[in-house]
Amino acid sequence: MARAIWKGKLELGSHEIDVKMYSAVEDRTVHFRMLHKKDDAAVEQHIVRKDTGKDVAKEDIRKAFALDKTTAVILQPEDLASLVPPESREIQILRFVAPDVLGDQWFDRPYYLGPDADDGDYFALAAALERKHVIGIARWVMRKKRYVGALSALTGYLTLSTLRRADQVLSFSRVEPVKSETPHPNELKLAEQFVASITGDFEPEQWQNEYRQRLCKLIEAKARGEKIEPAPTKRRARQASLADSLRASIAAAKEKKVA
Amino acid sequence: MPSRQRTSKAVAAPEAAAAPVRSFWSGTITFGLVSIPVDLLSAVRPRQTAMKLVDKEGHPLGRRYYCSKEDKKLDNDDLVRGYETESGQIIEITDEDLESVAPEMSSDIELRSFVPLEQIPPLYFQKPYFLAPAGKSAKAYHLLAATMERTGRAGIGSFVMRGHEYLVAIVSDHGVLRADTLRYTDELRTPESLELPKPKPAAKKVSRFEKAIEDLTRRELDVTELADEEAAALAKLVEARRKDADNVVHTSGLEDEDAEGEGAKVIDLMAVLRKSLSKNAVVTNAEGAAPISLAEHRARKHARKTTAKKRAKTRTASRTAGRKKRASR
Repeated sequence: MARAIWKGKLELGSHEIDVKMYSAVEDRTVHFRMLHKKDDAAVEQHIVRKDTGKDVAKEDIRKAFALDKTTAVILQPEDLASLVPPESREIQILRFVAPDVLGDQWFDRPYYLGPDADDGDYFALAAALERKHVIGIARWVMRKKRYVGALSALTGYLTLSTLRRADQVLSFSRVEPVKSETPHPNELKLAEQFVASITGDFEPEQWQNEYRQRLCKLIEAKARGEKIEPAPTKRRARQASLADSLRASIAAAKEKKVA
Repeated sequence: MPSRQRTSKAVAAPEAAAAPVRSFWSGTITFGLVSIPVDLLSAVRPRQTAMKLVDKEGHPLGRRYYCSKEDKKLDNDDLVRGYETESGQIIEITDEDLESVAPEMSSDIELRSFVPLEQIPPLYFQKPYFLAPAGKSAKAYHLLAATMERTGRAGIGSFVMRGHEYLVAIVSDHGVLRADTLRYTDELRTPESLELPKPKPAAKKVSRFEKAIEDLTRRELDVTELADEEAAALAKLVEARRKDADNVVHTSGLEDEDAEGEGAKVIDLMAVLRKSLSKNAVVTNAEGAAPISLAEHRARKHARKTTAKKRAKTRTASRTAGRKKRASR
């Protein structure tokens, strides 16, 4: 069982709910180490002066904020310390909004919240959030950093996802295709038919990380001193007209369904 | 690590764009039998909190790799990827090994099913990327975007980039296609795996919280609540410190404090979209603040100048006309 990474207090109007925070993500990445080719020895990273190549002692390293490519302002350690927000356990809920107000591109890292000590208020809030069908906008300070997040309910439990900051998220306007690149109504109809023919529910367990599985097999084979056949490359069919390709796609999807 | 990323050739990289995003991957989306060549660009701007490393005197610093045995500086060519097995055996994994794992997956995103977008829980979303059409005709691209928009569906597929497989949801965002990478189910914990207690909401308490939620429910988002307070505080501090010339360094070769994202090509998103997708496309950030590319800055400046000139001209013209009128009187 994964351990809680932090303990906090949800502040919602006059209510306070003690919660434990757990990372919702389990790292499954295949991790490599960088090695020296000649002797397979581990590689170390040194911080050096770029002009002389000489090592720089840790206490002599400074951080600088770049104003442009060739100008930067050096900040002293005490300057940077002054930016650290005061420690707090509060997770402040600022407002509730409809879930579709926040696009998926805002969501960064997800966490589960679990009850700490008394779980009555915790489950009541989760149930109320689910019934109201809203998400909460939250702010908190954790491990010397400020976060903004979205509080939501999922299958009766509370989740808190960190959100990206407002100036990171981009939006568009005035995207209008020129006439020659505008799809014809006929093509749109065929495209929608094709989409409908392979539309289903989101079933994440059907999707396996095939690459990771093959990579693990390759590593195992190499460890046994075996060679592994490279996977075959697929050939792509030649491109016909948009409408013909769509018709053929719909036919192929139908065939698959029958089979 | 030897760089494995494939970057787009079609994309020009302007020097020091005001709103740089990074280009990561070029490939093809297959939508049935329709192929759509695309370039993958980061859809998220980095936070304005990144720092460079310097020494006390302001000399730029960088990272160098050394062999732990020989205390010798290593070049990229001296480095290999190693995997340590449970028994402590070191297995070398070459670039060719990685390429051979799934060659067909590294250049294709095959959309294998379409799902209602609202069915994907936020927990799954990892990182958003914009797709820019890379082929000659953007028609198939516009067709897919329009279809996603009209049906409210997301196309689901997977692809391999930089030695990782990503599950993606392809969605349309105001006519621009976005590939949102998703986590695989085995990468997500569940209340069961975390051994959280079973839910047992008490009806009375639930309605009390419903009331509390109603009191705080608003129709709209206030983006100032999502502003980057850390970046703002940092900007203020920098502004104060730069007044003292001793704190300001002028040098080239400044390197980021963390190596993340290094190596990918920096491009101007608006310039790319205007060239490949729609010539009037405008990119802003969620705060609705000024357009965020060098090109737009230029365009705005130019527009201001020409209107100013025009105005000046009209002014002179009307003045002359007035004078003429007076003169004719």
